[in-house]
Amino acid sequence: MLAPRFNTRESERARAEPLELSLYSRDAGLANGQAGAVCFPRDASDVAFAVATCKKLGVPFVARGSGTGLAGGATPLDDALVIVTTQMNRVISIDAASRTAWVEPGLLNLDLTRAAQPYGLHYAPDPSSQQACSIGGNVATNAGGPHCLSSGSTTAHVLAVEAVLPNGEVAMLGSTAPDQPGFDLRGIFVGSEGMLGIATKVLVKLVPNPPQIQTMLLDFMSIDEAAATVSAIIAAGIMPAALEMMDSRITAAVEDFVGAGYPRDAAAVLLVEVDGLSGGVDHQASLITEIGRAHGAREVRLARSESERQLLWKGRKSAFGAIARIAPDYYLHDAVVPRSKLVGVLRTIYEIADSHDLTMMNVFHAGDGNLHPLIVFDRRVIGVWERVQAAGTEILERCLAAGGVLSGEHGIGLEKRAMMAQFFSEADLELQARVADALDPHGLANPGKVLPAGFRCGEVGINRTLPEGTWI
Amino acid sequence: MNSRFDPTVESVNASELVDPTGSRTHSGLGRRARDGSIEISAPAGIVSHDPDDLVVTVLAGTKVSEFSDAIGLQKQFVPLDPRSDQATVGGVIASGLSGVRRLGFGPLRDNLLEVRFVTGYGKLVKVGGPTVKNVTGFDIPRLLVGSLGTLGLIVQATFRCRPLPSESRWFTTSSEPGGALQKMFRPTAILSDSRSTYVLLSGEAVDVATSCRLLASCTETADVQLPEGPHRGRMSVAPATLASVEMQLRATKASDLRWLIEWGVGTIHLAADSSTSIALARAIAVDAGGWLLIEDGAEDLDPFGVTIPNLAIMSRLKRAFDPDEKFARGRFG
Amino acid sequence: MKSGPLGLDPELLNACVSCGLCLPHCPTFRVTGLEIASPRGRIAAMNAVETGMAPLKRPFIDAMAECVQCLGCETACPSGVRFGRLMEDSRATIAHRSGLRALLSRAFGAIAYRRLLPNQHVLHLLSWVLLVAQRMRVMPKRFRSSVPRLTRHRLRRTLNVTVGGNPDVWLFTGCVMDAWLQKTHVATAAALRSTGVRIARPDSRAGCCGALAAHAGRRDIARSLAKSVVAAMPGAAPIIVNSAGCGAALKDYGHLLGDADAERFAARVFDISEWLVAQTASPLATEARTSIVIQDPCHLRNVQRTHDSVRLLLGGAFALLETNDDGMCCGAGGGYAANQPDLSTKITKRKAKALRDAGASTDVAVCSSNPGCTFALEAAGFKVVHPAELYADCIAPDRGEPRNG
Repeated sequence: MLAPRFNTRESERARAEPLELSLYSRDAGLANGQAGAVCFPRDASDVAFAVATCKKLGVPFVARGSGTGLAGGATPLDDALVIVTTQMNRVISIDAASRTAWVEPGLLNLDLTRAAQPYGLHYAPDPSSQQACSIGGNVATNAGGPHCLSSGSTTAHVLAVEAVLPNGEVAMLGSTAPDQPGFDLRGIFVGSEGMLGIATKVLVKLVPNPPQIQTMLLDFMSIDEAAATVSAIIAAGIMPAALEMMDSRITAAVEDFVGAGYPRDAAAVLLVEVDGLSGGVDHQASLITEIGRAHGAREVRLARSESERQLLWKGRKSAFGAIARIAPDYYLHDAVVPRSKLVGVLRTIYEIADSHDLTMMNVFHAGDGNLHPLIVFDRRVIGVWERVQAAGTEILERCLAAGGVLSGEHGIGLEKRAMMAQFFSEADLELQARVADALDPHGLANPGKVLPAGFRCGEVGINRTLPEGTWI
Repeated sequence: MNSRFDPTVESVNASELVDPTGSRTHSGLGRRARDGSIEISAPAGIVSHDPDDLVVTVLAGTKVSEFSDAIGLQKQFVPLDPRSDQATVGGVIASGLSGVRRLGFGPLRDNLLEVRFVTGYGKLVKVGGPTVKNVTGFDIPRLLVGSLGTLGLIVQATFRCRPLPSESRWFTTSSEPGGALQKMFRPTAILSDSRSTYVLLSGEAVDVATSCRLLASCTETADVQLPEGPHRGRMSVAPATLASVEMQLRATKASDLRWLIEWGVGTIHLAADSSTSIALARAIAVDAGGWLLIEDGAEDLDPFGVTIPNLAIMSRLKRAFDPDEKFARGRFG
Repeated sequence: MKSGPLGLDPELLNACVSCGLCLPHCPTFRVTGLEIASPRGRIAAMNAVETGMAPLKRPFIDAMAECVQCLGCETACPSGVRFGRLMEDSRATIAHRSGLRALLSRAFGAIAYRRLLPNQHVLHLLSWVLLVAQRMRVMPKRFRSSVPRLTRHRLRRTLNVTVGGNPDVWLFTGCVMDAWLQKTHVATAAALRSTGVRIARPDSRAGCCGALAAHAGRRDIARSLAKSVVAAMPGAAPIIVNSAGCGAALKDYGHLLGDADAERFAARVFDISEWLVAQTASPLATEARTSIVIQDPCHLRNVQRTHDSVRLLLGGAFALLETNDDGMCCGAGGGYAANQPDLSTKITKRKAKALRDAGASTDVAVCSSNPGCTFALEAAGFKVVHPAELYADCIAPDRGEPRNG
């Protein structure tokens, strides 16, 4: 039984009090669900016990780190048990010589980089929420971030995962040695949004801090010019460490919060970073300056100090939160288009927002074509939510039509599962469902996510409520 | 649009047992007894290459040499470095061959974006997506890398390309490779055999020169070759154990054993005149917590020589892709 | 949208977009990992109560009481959520509800905030009682980190400053600072005088700034204390405060009292480091610079946001060492250490590790400018000095005031 292990009297191990449960009914996305109970495991055996108990009782379960996801991936449905990893937040070990670290899933992304700092190393994936998001959540969503342009998303930085599989078994996926014979199970696990199990330990790669970094701010009088500059930089064979774009509304909102000296009157700014050895950095910086000017950049500003660089980045990374200064609600999308299509797609999505009488702004990872169209609104206005959703769907459709994908880093979660059929054929989705069914035949691991309704065989037969008394 | 694959899908559906086959340049890997399987190959050709997007889509039967030449025309490359460039792109994926530039440009899995393949139940499916960044659905392309033909017949793949660096040069050095790795910033490759250390540097000329100055008696050299011989294997150990593994390799009495170590990665390419020497090397690998896969020859040795971890999970996945065990029967449960 | 049982401003409540960027900056979330112990969780809980989804009783009330009110979340919040306002307003409603528990807590508050703290004589008398209790080892455990080790020397009244009149600047002396940190006042007075100004301290009407009462939701008491403080320091002279918590409270009088006089008063308030940096050149080291670990009191960093002045003031004369914890709260939090001893201890432990990692030791002191932090860190074994003391030592090395003891 659950009671002896996760008794509510051991108040920090499990809770079922209604107010507290309500706090776990959503993540940073907009969808609301309902948690049946919440527990706070301390190690893999706690997680395995919780999962095994769920399997026995037929109760679904959802893993949650910091709850900063935007696609509803950690939103519990059907009174699921929420398994919160915040108390599993240690750096277990750092091996500076082989540049790896074993960490627990609840460790915050930025805390990992802090722990690596004394060795001159850092953890490369840096989602904008990196100060708050957890490594376990990063693994679940295959999180990205500005610097994934040159260094790749989370999956490129995870060597092995110890995971509790949906059947309650603990398995080690991947290895410190390369190319383990057999299937790359760590590969399929990363980005599986909690549907193939729960990570309890992660072996991550750390990378050396670059000897030289140059951060640049280019400002433009038109969005088209900025977007064309992005395409031109990539086409010129330059691979910046990061290449971000912000439109004028975002720039103004961020400037109010951070005061980073972003030009308030620019139609768009590009934040570009190049790193490496000095020759390459200087060469790329001057090429980027040239390309920017050729495309109409009004000013090209080079960060002169580390603090100036940090300030420029703080502005970029605070962008989403700073939106509340404009309107009380926002809906943030995440889609990727081929970089050569940026100009046309951007123009269309502004038109889509206009046609629905909505305010849209854009702050995104331009270098890899990863758009983040953001619609601000006030949900108290009658009918606005329907317009927001309609515009969102049209924007995604436009991105798909341009040869893009539904999500670059946030995940599909609850938010976009219905749109999966617009990107994948029925046969494609059937295969994905077969993969999920193979590891989770009862469909208890974060059900109702990623795959559209009707594809999983485990979807029927979920015991919808926890038996009375189990948790008290 | 998918009609180009119709004959392949039909062939798979018409056959009871299938061996997905490329050029058979690396067929010693994971050797399997002949069981009457029909060999089916994927079609060949470049589907599209958009240099501005740094993305290329290629039919899986295309030879690596042709593929590299085609994108090289646009001054781009995908770091595929199989031992023989006559290997097919699909074969490289299925064999999980990452190549010696992996330290700098990442393993094969990180350069593969989208794959189309035929499942064991005879459906043509797409996994992954055509953009450099994508989390739409499960990351099945990575599952196919190194799956040795067990999950399906790969017919098409999309890769991310990179611009060719303005310079890319091999050097030899008397510096100790482990130390060189710690000293240098993003070297493309650091290799060593029993005699020398080899370093591949890519980038701006001035940076290549700067990096070179960090190394003792750094001299430019020709391309480095993988060791050749009738019996070949690929060892994998944790990168941190490489120095001690190398010492043990030197200490063996197998004078016919030749090797090339990928520092910072943990791969050691080995060749020998006798399979006994390969067996000796395998013992060292296993002792260090790693393994040694036979790539060619050494018929008296098991192709894997190690208990494949998580076989039960793998066999459940195998059934999801190939319920009748049509592909490469007997491999991975 | 109307406000509900808590009477919160719906606009303030709605400003939170649940992004979660506040979580790592919240000391109680850091040590518990619980959503209900995080700013985002607390706002969601307030929302639940306001919309009638949860009752205005436990566990909501406990959740509100667990907040240290360090306002690290406000500094971190890109959406500009006024968490401090929301928390004070919620606590005010909680403090004024009916029931025995609330009644008892109101009675305690009335004694502590209205009778004890603002009254120098009572506080001084109590200090001697506490000294005896410490000697007899009968000090209640929960007060151990909020009361410093009291000695006869510590309780000696050594501050020699004119009371009242028409000075160039006022030195606000407060309650606990005046009772237990006379050495800081003496150093502050020396520092101020070194700039050539005439100083005075207010009379006994300015006994307590009312911060603790306001944090506990007792705005009625806080307002009456604030009115006395305003009355005690008339004129246009700047008001210098050397306690970060009091300074933050005085600067907020405009909001608390809600009138133009109070606004004008608040505009005259400066933290000692803030004022000195604006008035004089910072001293430079003559010999090897002594290492000091900087600890930012929350009310200096997150409310007054003048913590950089300390660095500007001392950076030339000392080697300043920084902690790697984003200026996280030390867990003292005014009355917090006494009200929530378990959480407070956990938070202090975390801070102690960060300070030690930064280099604090028996030789290397911690620089802090808030009495609560000072006492908690002393109790955790650190040597704590005030920026004004370090400054005064630089400009007048022989001023003869012992820095410790």
